[in-house]
Amino acid sequence: MAEVSLRNVTKAWGSFTAVRDQSLEIRDGEFMVLLGPSGCGKTTTMRMIAGLEEPTAGDILIGGQRVNDLPPRDRDIAMVFQSYGLYPHMTVEDNIGYPLKLRGIKGAERAAQVRAAAAKVELEALLHRRPKELSGGQRQRVALARAIVRRPTVFLMDEPLSNLDAKLRVSTRAEIKHLQHELGVTTVYVTHDQIEAMTLAHRVAVMQGGEIRQLDTPEVIYDRPADLFVAGFIGSPPMNLVQGQHADGRFTAAGGFHAVTGVARHSGPAVLGVRPEDVTVAPAGQGDLDASIYAVELTGDAVLVTVQAGDSRIIAKADRAWRAEIGSSVALRLDASRLHLFDAASTKRLQPE
Amino acid sequence: MSGTRAAAARRRKLVVKAVESAILLLALFLILFPIVWMALTAFKRPVDLFDLTVTFTPTLDNFRTIFAAPWNIGAAVWNSTVVAGLTVLISIPCSTLAAYAFSRFEMRFKGALFFTILATQFIPAVVVVLPFYLLFRDLGLLDTHLALVIVNLAIVTPFAVWMLKGFLDAVPTESEEAALVDGATRLRVILDIVVPMVWPGVLVTAVFCFILTWNEFLFALILTRDDAVTLPVGITRFRTERGDLWELIAAAGILISIPMFLLSSVIQRHFVRGMTGGAVK
Ligand SMILES: Nc1ncnc2c1ncn2[C@@H]1O[C@H](COP(=O)(O)OP(=O)(O)OP(=O)(O)O)[C@@H](O)[C@H]1O
Ligand SMILES: [Mg+2]
Repeated sequence: MAEVSLRNVTKAWGSFTAVRDQSLEIRDGEFMVLLGPSGCGKTTTMRMIAGLEEPTAGDILIGGQRVNDLPPRDRDIAMVFQSYGLYPHMTVEDNIGYPLKLRGIKGAERAAQVRAAAAKVELEALLHRRPKELSGGQRQRVALARAIVRRPTVFLMDEPLSNLDAKLRVSTRAEIKHLQHELGVTTVYVTHDQIEAMTLAHRVAVMQGGEIRQLDTPEVIYDRPADLFVAGFIGSPPMNLVQGQHADGRFTAAGGFHAVTGVARHSGPAVLGVRPEDVTVAPAGQGDLDASIYAVELTGDAVLVTVQAGDSRIIAKADRAWRAEIGSSVALRLDASRLHLFDAASTKRLQPE
Repeated sequence: MSGTRAAAARRRKLVVKAVESAILLLALFLILFPIVWMALTAFKRPVDLFDLTVTFTPTLDNFRTIFAAPWNIGAAVWNSTVVAGLTVLISIPCSTLAAYAFSRFEMRFKGALFFTILATQFIPAVVVVLPFYLLFRDLGLLDTHLALVIVNLAIVTPFAVWMLKGFLDAVPTESEEAALVDGATRLRVILDIVVPMVWPGVLVTAVFCFILTWNEFLFALILTRDDAVTLPVGITRFRTERGDLWELIAAAGILISIPMFLLSSVIQRHFVRGMTGGAVK
């Protein structure tokens, strides 16, 4: 029993509001990812759950109990800090073992649990070093091991993989996911890396400017972004967004760009979105739109084709064997079932009926 | 052309260097000369005293004399040690807690409170020495260690709070927050995390407080007579009707200086060096 609830939580410093009237229900055992650009209030939200920051307004509940007035130690949480927060005068072993020491776990039992946690993040060989003798990635793993050495009711992880190299990041990511599944501990995970969010989360809260823009499963967030911000933030390369006019279910933009949207009840300025993987580059004359090749980039697993269609530049993701001359004429096919339409004024998504 | 200019610049640099060295040497001489003179005097026989030769037969007689009756300087050494030791032992834990509160917690009137604590340092000792005398007389504490410890605490603690706050302000708070989340109480955090991290600062502060107390003269002079006389006051006893016993004054001066030499080397080793490496990114 450890749901975490935020009810109309606000955090302000003077006239600056870092988190604005935020409500969030995190279910028992859920892996919740807070995703957003730098400075959007992710760490602040997490610190309020931990009890390190007092909300200016609103309530925080853990397991149904209001914890606003409880000190961090009575909230039974474990946290990985964005800048580690290691104990510089202690060895790696003592760092990881400190939460156990505070709970009166002694001697061989503590040593065994410390070693098990260290093994999970490949730290066994470094147990007798001090933090200043470790690399950034190793320090981060010590912080991670210190959090997973015991079983709290809630895990809070603030960008715990940001300093690992690509290979270790992938393996530790899988480790975290497996561990969380195995322990079933409610987890709040902060990141600005959308791949991490997509791969780890049961649900993702996309934040901007201290507010949650969309809260849903990774699939829904990817397939039906709620507004222009979410649409542009999620996806790499980002979704193509074309400014234009919309009327009678038909979207048009300067230079002859057009598409059928299936949204009947909207007319006026709009933005059409289409993900690169939903755009197909076809031989000239065999598609919906005429275009010319602007650039071709091989990324390894795919080829990114930038084409000029009307006044707009569209990126398409093609097979990695795909090749074309810059400047040559092609045609574009847009996957009609995967077009996204947004109202230009409100930036909100317009759902086809 | 440019060659001569370079040569002129080099010559100017040389002159600056020479002047610098001369000033340093002069300062060094001014500081060290009295100390060397005192050290030499302490090992001289009274007959050699006003002899300006540097070559003489050194003797430990002066030290034997001051430790024997009627001088019994050993008692003053003991009094000074007890007073300075107790003052530091009480002051440092209290100041650490106070400095931690000032450094980490939000509170009302924090600035005013901190200033008030510092302001007590600016009251001249002569202004309060008489009230203190009357107070301790009424309490029956004249000529006791306790009276001196209380007075020295009042002198030393504000200074220690101010100094420790500086050290604490420089320590990142992430480690403390991690410990709070890991399940530590605030006191545990201070003992397990904060103190080890600012240990050099605590040590330096303790040394300063010890030296301040060790050298304190005015209050010790007024508040003691026989039992609790400290070294700086004890030295004045060597000014007798028979004249000033310079060789004994010098020997006692050496005794007073010993902790200073030992402790200043501690300060040298620990000043600025912190323990915070590796805690955060
Ligand atoms: N103690 C503070 N006083 C004033 N402003 C603060 C304080 N802590 C954070 N802020 C501000 O609150 C906003 C949100 O900060 P926060 O640390 O939550 O961002 P974040 O989403 O975690 O960003 P990042 O991805 O860079 O870590 C920032 O604009 C920051 O400057
Ligand atoms: Mg952050």
